[in-house]
Amino acid sequence: MAIHEKALIEDERLQQHDELVVDGVDVSGHWNTMIAPRTVRDYDDDFETKIQSYTGGEYVHRCWQCGSCTNSCTMYAQNVQFNPRYWIYLTRLGMKEELVKDKDIIWQCVSCNKCTNICPKDVKPEGVMKALAHWMEEEGITEKAPSTIFDEEFADQIYKTGRIEDGKVMQNFFKKTGQPLLQEWLKVFVFRMMKHLPVKHLMTMGFNTVHTPRTKSWGKTGDVLKNYVREQKEAAHG
Amino acid sequence: MQDTVLVVGGGPAGLSAAANVTSAGYKAVMVEKEDVLGGAPILSGYAKLVPSGEWASEAIGRMVKRVEDDSSVAVHKSAKVEKLDGEAGNFTATLTNGETVQAGSVVLATGFTHFDSINKPEWGFGTYEDVLTTTQVEQMVASGNIACPSDGRVPERVCILLCVGSRDRQIGREWCSKICCTVSANMAMEIKELSPETDVFIYYMDIRTFGLYEDKYYWKSQEEFKTKFVKARIAEVTSSGDGRLLVKGEDTLVKRPIVIPFDMVVHAIGMDPNADNPEISQVFGVGLEKHGFLEKAEQYTNTCGTTRKGIYACGAAYGPETIDDSIAQGAAAGGRAVADLHALVQKAG
Repeated sequence: MAIHEKALIEDERLQQHDELVVDGVDVSGHWNTMIAPRTVRDYDDDFETKIQSYTGGEYVHRCWQCGSCTNSCTMYAQNVQFNPRYWIYLTRLGMKEELVKDKDIIWQCVSCNKCTNICPKDVKPEGVMKALAHWMEEEGITEKAPSTIFDEEFADQIYKTGRIEDGKVMQNFFKKTGQPLLQEWLKVFVFRMMKHLPVKHLMTMGFNTVHTPRTKSWGKTGDVLKNYVREQKEAAHG
Repeated sequence: MQDTVLVVGGGPAGLSAAANVTSAGYKAVMVEKEDVLGGAPILSGYAKLVPSGEWASEAIGRMVKRVEDDSSVAVHKSAKVEKLDGEAGNFTATLTNGETVQAGSVVLATGFTHFDSINKPEWGFGTYEDVLTTTQVEQMVASGNIACPSDGRVPERVCILLCVGSRDRQIGREWCSKICCTVSANMAMEIKELSPETDVFIYYMDIRTFGLYEDKYYWKSQEEFKTKFVKARIAEVTSSGDGRLLVKGEDTLVKRPIVIPFDMVVHAIGMDPNADNPEISQVFGVGLEKHGFLEKAEQYTNTCGTTRKGIYACGAAYGPETIDDSIAQGAAAGGRAVADLHALVQKAG
């Protein structure tokens, strides 16, 4: 359908062509704008089970759409687009496309757990919000959270050396999250540490940060550990 | 002196009424237009009943046996009342089989007629083989095999459409049929039990699993059987061209049109007034309310009354009713009818 009032249509559904011929009729020019249909054509039957495999999402199937979660929600009071009841509905039916539209607000849940307290069916909507946020992060729909980046750096160092070096974890975390290495609080922290810690301790720390020694007889433990964690994740989320 | 109550209709309500009449020491004459007793649960081959979970054939079968074994009940099958003369205390009914019955009071347990889905043609019944009604699926469940009639395959996805022939002004059904939400939730579980791989969806505008049916059906179907409830308005059911059906409408929560493929579509059909009600109204001289069910007398002091003295009613003749409540009302109507006889006895004595 060609349209004039483009302002009423979501940008991603507007399809414009420079040249367009439909059934042999040249409709280039004024009539060349089409709207992609917004019809839901199928459900993803496995999606509910997928979200249930994440911690917090286990009870999503109990929801009967009463809306108590949304009504009690701290974030809904700030932004009416933040609607746990709606996302739970989408999750149950597997309407991923609709969910992804709200990717930039779902993670904003502040975990006040008012919804958890009020839910008559014990769905634990706060857990569902967490599960959804985790799913989106794992699917690459949303950017990795700083906490995830920190966890990864932490785990990586353990896999490699069987131990972590605080300085190195910090350094790489700042690098990966695009933060400056020399932050004011860090300067004060290091300065005080230098002032109060024994010299030998400081030297060991400095040496370890530069050389990152491995734990004795660490061998293949790191690889084994890494595999185990991967297997556990796959077992839970497929 | 009259010692007989005429009970019209041999379904759960009528069977209950007749049994109550004879247990008080009076006689009952039962007139049933079909050739078997038991009413809709038997005639339509219902599977397990809500809420007892008993098979209809066994549960209602016990009611039938109780009446058929009762020497104080005279049963006329394949017969209707053609004419009713006289007045309260002294009725004379002429039956279509030529017999006449003297009775002091009458209980109408004339029930309902299942909504005929042909009257909702856009939802595909009668056009596509795999569009069925809840009564048909009841029979499937009773036979222990869920399969698409078109090719016998086990459906991957079944949807149950609620309010077919209920709450629909477009086709003049302005009432809620009361039991379909619960029956459908129960059916979703039965389908899942017979075919665990089948996903069942229920399309609703509101869910009315009233009273004690909430946890046992509505909750359980979701929590244990993963039934999915979709709030939507259905426009039409068409064919996808590859042997499946397409359910078209609008998901009113997502506010988007939907066109979803299904292997089987089930109409949760409602209760219409008994198709014979105009005739019943004329023969017995009782009024009908605006939807076409029997009109109730003043409810608070004239329980089970109709617009005519000496004639009582019960169950789905008054409007959509559950089996359990129909049975209770049948007993109540039987009680009222007996009270009339008893008053006559005292007067005569």
